Amino acid sequence: MQRIKRQSLIGIASIIVAAVLMFAIIPTWVSSPSNVRNIVLSPLFWPYILSGLTVLIGLGLVVTGFFTTDPVEPEQPAISGGYGRLGILAAIMTLTMFALPRLGMVWTSMLIFAATAFLIRTSHPRAAIICAITVPLVLYGFFAHVASVAIPQGNYVRLP
Amino acid sequence: MSFLDSIAAGLSLVGNFEAFAALFVGVLIGTIAGAIPGMSATMAVALTLPFTFAMEAVPAILLLLGVYKGGIFGGCIPAILIKTPGTPASSATVLDGYPMAEKGQAGKALGMALWASCTADLISNLSLILFAGWLASFALNFGPPEFFTLILFSLTIIAGVSGNSLLKGALSAMLGLLLATVGLDLVYGTNRLTFGDPNLMGGLNFIAVLIGLFAMPEVMSMVWDPKPHEGKARGLGSDSVTFGEYKRCFRTIVRGSFIGVFLGSIPGIGAAPAAFLSYSEARRKSPNKANFGKGEVEGVAASEAGNNGVAGATLIPLLALGVPGDVITAIIIGAFMIHGLQPGPMMFVLNKDLIYGLFIGLIVSSFFLFFIGSLAIRLFKYVADIPRGVLFPGVLVLCIYGVFAVNNNIFDVGVMFVMGWVGYVMLRNDIPAAPFLIAFILGPLLENNFRQAMLMSGNSPEILFRGPITWFFWFLTLLTVAAIIRAGIRATRSMRSKPGAG
Repeated sequence: MQRIKRQSLIGIASIIVAAVLMFAIIPTWVSSPSNVRNIVLSPLFWPYILSGLTVLIGLGLVVTGFFTTDPVEPEQPAISGGYGRLGILAAIMTLTMFALPRLGMVWTSMLIFAATAFLIRTSHPRAAIICAITVPLVLYGFFAHVASVAIPQGNYVRLP
Repeated sequence: MSFLDSIAAGLSLVGNFEAFAALFVGVLIGTIAGAIPGMSATMAVALTLPFTFAMEAVPAILLLLGVYKGGIFGGCIPAILIKTPGTPASSATVLDGYPMAEKGQAGKALGMALWASCTADLISNLSLILFAGWLASFALNFGPPEFFTLILFSLTIIAGVSGNSLLKGALSAMLGLLLATVGLDLVYGTNRLTFGDPNLMGGLNFIAVLIGLFAMPEVMSMVWDPKPHEGKARGLGSDSVTFGEYKRCFRTIVRGSFIGVFLGSIPGIGAAPAAFLSYSEARRKSPNKANFGKGEVEGVAASEAGNNGVAGATLIPLLALGVPGDVITAIIIGAFMIHGLQPGPMMFVLNKDLIYGLFIGLIVSSFFLFFIGSLAIRLFKYVADIPRGVLFPGVLVLCIYGVFAVNNNIFDVGVMFVMGWVGYVMLRNDIPAAPFLIAFILGPLLENNFRQAMLMSGNSPEILFRGPITWFFWFLTLLTVAAIIRAGIRATRSMRSKPGAG
């Protein structure tokens, strides 16, 4: 029954998200000019309609989740340390956002590459280290010198 | 402009080294990416897109089309040699391809896959050339109400057929439509869901959303369950495909190609169902039906013809109507937009040279595919040996560079990370990501056409039912919803009737 419950949970989550949109986010963060004569043309109309439809779909998911008797496939077995690794990846991503403007894209990418390679337990650590250094440099060369993209250089070591 | 004039104009655009080199490199990249288990054609096209920003429009689009075609073919190589489809579209190829490899006939299976793929690709491209222009000339009569109903129909079918559940597909599409409302209002220019952040005023960056949804979840899946290599590559064997075998399978290949063309031209269906349908039709009609599943070369031909038949045909709704038929064409529409082009019927009037240039490029791509495919079959081992522990961190770094390069904005990298988690949650909960992305692209068009129609009619909804074209699309939309619901009820009943169900 886990999958069925999960479907209902997805439905409930959709209803909650749509309700938050309808009652909190849209009234506060969607501005509409006062001279709009018809609601259909208002900037508010489309977000409200979509939120309403999301509620309906959420209800559909809840109902089908609770009342169907579909045989459920076994849940994917939990992988040992899976959530921990995902947490570390989330931390890497957060740190990346802080590091990109300060360290620069090339150095940050080198660190991300190495960290991710070890996070997924690479069986080729030497190759991973070599690639962690070369891949960001090659990409920098292409984007900065071929595509003329201003790659962030950071505050410390600047590349030509 | 006559047909010959159009071809000459097209040739003047693509008849240069840069365009053909881009196409060749595209097919090469696609074949390699498709041959790497874990990389999909979608991911390959998404990751190549940022490299096209600095290119001219025609080579850029040809490069992406090359990646698309190469990616679809490349998937068959690991499917046959290590029983791991490189792309979902190659799943049907495993059924007979791998048993052939076990019998020491991998070279024959790959050879037939290549011949079938190139034949189907050519048929698909010719169908595109024949039908896209006709459909575009018909679509020139469309106004905002017709486009609104067309897009609504496209979204319905994409949401309905992209996953196992219509409701989950619809939820995915709705989230995409909601996300598309972020930014300045199309008519009044007021802020919508920007939370006071100027970075959000132009809406969310399409490339960041796309790469976040399709490439990042693969990296996250690898982090969740770090798997080493799967399967062991087999040798090619001494047998190779003969002309007699190709001739024997020719009918199956042509049938599979047309199945691919038909399913590919309907938004949302994609290459995998086409391959399976082509395979099952071939098995039904073949005198060797008992051999299917045990290593029948006709089975390989059928599945590869089915999935490659889709590749050109998915461009029919894209070029003629401006509606992406699947995720890859959704990415390609992004490439058009980045280069200031809007696919659709008007493109056949304003940019006829570009359209014919693309047609010429697509025809040439079938020959490039044959050449590169022949080499890739022999060199697969080197591609398959790329360690995943190096590949996926590389993908992550490539995503960061690619997304940043669109607007030179670190904020977009953050959007990509967030969308990556959204995509991963969707993946873990069987919510298809394709309706999300396509709805995200079509959302502004849907809303814009709706509001234009309302402005035209003085807010009367009757305009949405103003003529046979709108009625036709409303009818198709209802028919699709009814068919999907019926299929869902039937599936539920058949599951209930099975012993042990519930």
